[in-house]
Amino acid sequence: MKVWQYGLLGLGIIFLVIQFVPNQLPEVIENNPKDLMGSGLVEGEMATLLKTACYDCHSNETKYPWYSFVAPASWLVAKDTREGREEVNFSYWTDIDMMDKLAILDDVYSEVEEKHMPLPIYLSMHSEAKLTPEDRQKIMEWAEAAMDIVVEEE
Amino acid sequence: MKKLSLLPIAALVGVLFFQAIQKPEVETHPEIDMEAPKIPAKVKAVIDQKCYGCHNAEAKGEKAKKKLDWDQFEAEKKAKQLAAMSKINEALVEGEMPPKKFLENKPEGKLTEEEMAILLDWSAGKKKSGE
Repeated sequence: MKVWQYGLLGLGIIFLVIQFVPNQLPEVIENNPKDLMGSGLVEGEMATLLKTACYDCHSNETKYPWYSFVAPASWLVAKDTREGREEVNFSYWTDIDMMDKLAILDDVYSEVEEKHMPLPIYLSMHSEAKLTPEDRQKIMEWAEAAMDIVVEEE
Repeated sequence: MKKLSLLPIAALVGVLFFQAIQKPEVETHPEIDMEAPKIPAKVKAVIDQKCYGCHNAEAKGEKAKKKLDWDQFEAEKKAKQLAAMSKINEALVEGEMPPKKFLENKPEGKLTEEEMAILLDWSAGKKKSGE
């Protein structure tokens, strides 16, 4: 066997071994009565947009692609999903305090405006989540209008 | 003749009646609710002394200005102000502000317990809603 063949074999073995490293993907929950989607704050086209662009990481309804179950990609998916939900989980929207809702919506506006979200690495695998400038504008306008509604509701 | 003279009276009563109905609608001004209250004087004093140096429109640090600009704050609508207050509260609770790096060079910039309490109380927002 040549050196490069040994190298390939070595990589193959490492690949197989890391599959046994424990890795916990955040749980998927389908029924979320407290979700933003049922709150009356978002509907129609905007609901679809948010679900496609944000909900894999910022809700309990993550749609895990096949590579989510294969290390080392699975580690990154688990980390980003866990951190995304910690930052804001739209599945618990109605439980969130009014002031925190406003801070979240204000962040939605700036994160989308500055193209920090959706994460570039997420977009590299999810072209359907890519936002056109018009999409970004729509989300920003929605977030701003939603803030006024949240204040009035209180 | 009697019936004819009743007509203007009926019309007058009708007009008065409609005015009475419309009145409550005229009195509501939803825009006023969207206007934000002014920052209380003692809160403003702490802000001017401990926050404004970095968080103002002419600030050198782009990040500090972008995150919070006190020169803009009072011109913002209520929802934006409350969102900013919510983030201020979080930054204070987490001990993120004033930044540790900043305090290394300027220890007198640290918030006293009293100043911290004033800012926390104000930025929590809720207590003020009763006023």
